[in-house]
Amino acid sequence: MTDTATSGGAATGRPDASGRVTGLILVALPVAMVMTMIVWPIGLAILDTLWLPGPDGTGARFSVASYRFFFSDGYSLGNLWITIWTTAVSTAILMAIAIPLSIYLRFRTGRAAAVVQALAIFPLFVPSIILAYAFVRVLGPNGMVDIILANIGLPRIRSPYLTVWGPVIGFVWDNLPLTVVILLAGLSGVSTQAVEAARDVGAGRIATFRHIILPRIGPSILVAASFVVLGLFSAFTFPYLLGPAAPEMMGPFMQRTFGDVLDPVQARTQAVVTFLFCAAFGWFYVRSIAANRRRMAR
Amino acid sequence: MDRRSLMKLGLAGLAAPALMRPARAQGATLNMYTSSDANISDFWSNVVKPSFEAANPGVQINVVIAREGGGTQAIAERALAALQTGTGPLLDIIEQHDPNLPAGGIDAGLWVDWTKAGIANYGRVNPLAIQTNFGLPYRGSQVLLAFDTTKLGQDEAPRTWAELVDWIKANPGQFIYNRPDKGGSGGNFVRRAIHEANGRDPSLFTVANFDAAKAEGMLAGGFDILADLAPSLFDAGAYTSGNANSIQLLAQGAVTMIPAWSDQALQAINQGVLPETTGLVQLTDLPLAGGFSQSVVPTNAENLDMAIALADFLLTPEIQTAIVTGIGGFPGVSWSELPADLQERFAAVVPASIPTFPGGDWGAAVSDGWYRNVAPNVTRD
Repeated sequence: MTDTATSGGAATGRPDASGRVTGLILVALPVAMVMTMIVWPIGLAILDTLWLPGPDGTGARFSVASYRFFFSDGYSLGNLWITIWTTAVSTAILMAIAIPLSIYLRFRTGRAAAVVQALAIFPLFVPSIILAYAFVRVLGPNGMVDIILANIGLPRIRSPYLTVWGPVIGFVWDNLPLTVVILLAGLSGVSTQAVEAARDVGAGRIATFRHIILPRIGPSILVAASFVVLGLFSAFTFPYLLGPAAPEMMGPFMQRTFGDVLDPVQARTQAVVTFLFCAAFGWFYVRSIAANRRRMAR
Repeated sequence: MDRRSLMKLGLAGLAAPALMRPARAQGATLNMYTSSDANISDFWSNVVKPSFEAANPGVQINVVIAREGGGTQAIAERALAALQTGTGPLLDIIEQHDPNLPAGGIDAGLWVDWTKAGIANYGRVNPLAIQTNFGLPYRGSQVLLAFDTTKLGQDEAPRTWAELVDWIKANPGQFIYNRPDKGGSGGNFVRRAIHEANGRDPSLFTVANFDAAKAEGMLAGGFDILADLAPSLFDAGAYTSGNANSIQLLAQGAVTMIPAWSDQALQAINQGVLPETTGLVQLTDLPLAGGFSQSVVPTNAENLDMAIALADFLLTPEIQTAIVTGIGGFPGVSWSELPADLQERFAAVVPASIPTFPGGDWGAAVSDGWYRNVAPNVTRD
């Protein structure tokens, strides 16, 4: 951080003091918003889950009872587990599709590549609720896939609608554009000459990927994965519309506990647990950005 | 209730009929909240809003959709908090809300008492539909079974709970209901199973008699019945996430039978969402539960007089007829108050009684108990 600031100041030739003031003014608004709309409510929520009324309903005191309930309740833990599972599986599938796709888009030119790129970016412009209903029409029972299979004499598949695979498929489709865009940005740092040189000395596709491409796009993969994980962990629309009734992912579970079970303390406890998981991934993301900056500045 | 709100209420009672005159109604915007499905919010936007605004120049109804569980609950809590601090709740009327919520709201004087509000049409309300003095029943509907007559003849459709259970088990994968907290059609199917386990006696469940320990025992029998049905449901125990999603599966021919709201099913058939060949049947041993929508007006509403006038307007023959013909609902007024030809046309579907199930603590216990005892289906995969 320090060396980027000094080198930036020197390069533009601006006096450091005024640059610092402008910088502070620029960050003041977002920092104020983060403090009032994110940090403050989170603080309140954590306090609310630890400062509970006594058994007679009066006299608030420190208590970890709501966390003890969450971590001893098989149903809540099942919901936490399916959230972790869905996030991990979706991210893995997404990377397995997005990495080869972005490598293809980086090193191929021509009409076919342009079409593939347009298709890959397209989901960015489709709201997830529309996507969820389209999913039911296409992959749902008696949907388009079923009709096509029946017409060519193949047995019908078991629809992923209302199973744990429903949200996974939705997430992969919905998050593909952002992941591809981030990876493509990372791949632009891999020079074509480096790849060609490796090929000239006889490196195969796998070796080229492992030794030339992967080291350069590692940070981009981490950034893309962090974005996806953070989005999926608290996702609501896909698990709500496409997932099974139980186990529930944390998003619908929190909403139901708050709005239907009318148990705000437990809903906040679920939210704090979810937040801690997200915060851990957030820390990864920030660390990777910082490490990247340091490397660039060197 | 403090003196100020009491006086306001009394004055509102005296003034409401006079306020039907357009001259007094300059520039008010009524905030109307609804958590009902799209058929009801559309009815408000397309029928109630234009006709009320035409009758009261300068008045606008702002239809606010607060859908999904707890949507109007949060608004009602805000109104209660506003009442305690003497500020405005930014709310004039909720189209359907249980006046028993939030707890203590009635005691604090949150809701207008319709018996004292002095509205001209209150005497026409169907006495069977009145549950409390604080909710104004203006439309009703009931859950029934909707099925595909091309796969199951109208005469072969089940007429009792036992026949329904037999049919579901004999036709695995052909029945689905939605999660009880995500819509009343599945919710009242679950409640019917609970009624079945408790001697088919809806009177055992009242708003006031909830007791957590006793409830657990009473609900367990119903959950056992439902858990026993689970393997025979669509996809061996799948549950849709709303009334409309069940209708979608019936429309796609993926299932043969679903529980559905009477009004929503009739409208779906009229609009072609469900085919003409859709059959409707009600159980005869004890019908599936239903209910009347209870409109509530907070006593601290910004436009209290106009909100009460709007409530009165809901009970006029114009709107009540539209409820029957437009959205397939039951009128909130007695059938005898409706035009004679309409009474004749709908004679067959007029229910003699509609079993109800209390909301609040009971509702929360039913849906959370269902999620913990019925929804997890270990044998499914």
